[in-house]
Amino acid sequence: MLLKVENLTKRFGGLVAVSDVSFGIERGEIIGIFGPNGSGKTTLLNLLAGLLPPSTGRVVWKGENIAGARPNVIASRGVIKTFQNPQLFSELSVFEHVMIASFLAFTRIKDHSRLSSFLAPGKGEAVLRARAEKALTLCRLQGASEKSAAELSYGEEKMLGVAMAMMCEPELLLLDEPASGLGNDEIHNLENVLRDLRAHGTTLCIIDHKVAFLAKFADQAIALQQGCKIAQGRPNDVLADPAVVKAYLGRSHHA
Amino acid sequence: MKALWFLIPLYLLPLVVKSDTMLTVLIFTFLLSILAVGFNIVFGGAGQLTMFHAAAFGIGSYATFLSMLHFGLPFWLGYLVAVVVVVLVSIVIGWICFKFRLKEFYFAVVTMAFAELCRLIALNWTSVTNGTLGMLVLEKPTLWLPRSGIVKIEQTAAWYFLTLVSLTVVLAFSALLMRSWIGRNFSAIRLNEDLAQTLGIDTFRYKLLAFTISNVIASFAGALYGFYTGFIEPSYLSVTQSLDAIAMVLLGGVSTILGPVVGSMVLTSLPHLIELPAELRVAVYGMILILVILLMPRGIVGLAAGLLKRRAHAS
Repeated sequence: MLLKVENLTKRFGGLVAVSDVSFGIERGEIIGIFGPNGSGKTTLLNLLAGLLPPSTGRVVWKGENIAGARPNVIASRGVIKTFQNPQLFSELSVFEHVMIASFLAFTRIKDHSRLSSFLAPGKGEAVLRARAEKALTLCRLQGASEKSAAELSYGEEKMLGVAMAMMCEPELLLLDEPASGLGNDEIHNLENVLRDLRAHGTTLCIIDHKVAFLAKFADQAIALQQGCKIAQGRPNDVLADPAVVKAYLGRSHHA
Repeated sequence: MKALWFLIPLYLLPLVVKSDTMLTVLIFTFLLSILAVGFNIVFGGAGQLTMFHAAAFGIGSYATFLSMLHFGLPFWLGYLVAVVVVVLVSIVIGWICFKFRLKEFYFAVVTMAFAELCRLIALNWTSVTNGTLGMLVLEKPTLWLPRSGIVKIEQTAAWYFLTLVSLTVVLAFSALLMRSWIGRNFSAIRLNEDLAQTLGIDTFRYKLLAFTISNVIASFAGALYGFYTGFIEPSYLSVTQSLDAIAMVLLGGVSTILGPVVGSMVLTSLPHLIELPAELRVAVYGMILILVILLMPRGIVGLAAGLLKRRAHAS
């Protein structure tokens, strides 16, 4: 098991945002977490990425408890989170944005000293540039590489956020509502990108409230309601679960 | 590094311009450029709006001179002592600010308070700093040059080249820094700190680094400034001094390599070139600043770069 979440709880004062949630993620699978707004999806993702410390519970990554570790430490272990709304620099190109995210890749290049790369970027830089091209190609942005970030559509901006995360070579990529605000064509494109990421060997954990979108390709789905896990299993089984139907749709009617 | 070509004409200028006044104006321009380049690293690079750079500038001049006075050190060793002091002060203040996650306006206010604290120490610790009267500096920096041996930097021309070479070195360093992994990490922090952390960057460490580097550069400008004018006073650490450097960076172009130098050229040289009554000059100066910031949000260098890019696209 790549990641094991054990009895994770997060309280904000009297509010329990995530309550005693446990699940596991196997290497190479796509796991979808869904639930209505305010069900604790984003909080859960922030707990996994270290942006929030959990109140109780453990997050075990390859046998080591990483709950409460700082986000950069968790990122360096291979868990990277994307942001729902990437803020970009209008004056930098798409390629330059991906290069901003190159630090972890940089630290993993062997046989080059940081000092010499300071004076002459040379070899390490070439490796990073090749990697950035690859991340852009994975995210279908290879044609937009030289565009300024200001010229991108909203969908492309979100893909750029994913490309920046992919620059870190994550083993587990946490995607925060990748489909929100996208048009149908863009969602179709996103689905292809996510399939490519899986083929590339990246394990994906996606939160979204678009159930149909997740059901299409997730191997495993988890439904949250008011911070609690109410169902887990194959997407179609979860969607058919009476508790989910009641909580998510408010009344009995098939998704 | 292309930006450095811009400085070449300045090396040739003394061959044509013999006027001491003109060279003096440029010396001040170079010194304040160094201060602005330092500020641009922490603000334009890592996005942290510090108000401490004038204090670092002042500490640079006081600490260099005092260690020369009390320990009998030559200028460059005295400056080394100042670097140690500035690094320690930066780490303490930066540690406090960044541990408490102070951002933007809050960071600016707290660093400004620390800067005022330093100014008040310089003002009131009379037995050491001579308080409001300031200190007269009669010593001059010395340099070892091939063929001439050890030379005192006294003549205007000598100061011109010393400050110009210093600016070149600082600018080259800033260009190397900003394109290295360190500069990229700074950019990630400026873009979005949470995002930077989730990309594996220890934002605390890199913000502290940006703050410290910027203060060390400011202290270098301060040390040279005090010895050039021959006078050190508490107003070196004042908020207005910090604001001047900020204006230079905004005007020249924030986050560009050359911006601070261009901004300093305009704001330091221009008041000397416009021959107007003092009050009117300040008003004109203010108007120019307001108009430029309204019309060119990315500064002079940002605007020029944009125009060049558009032309390259069109052709």
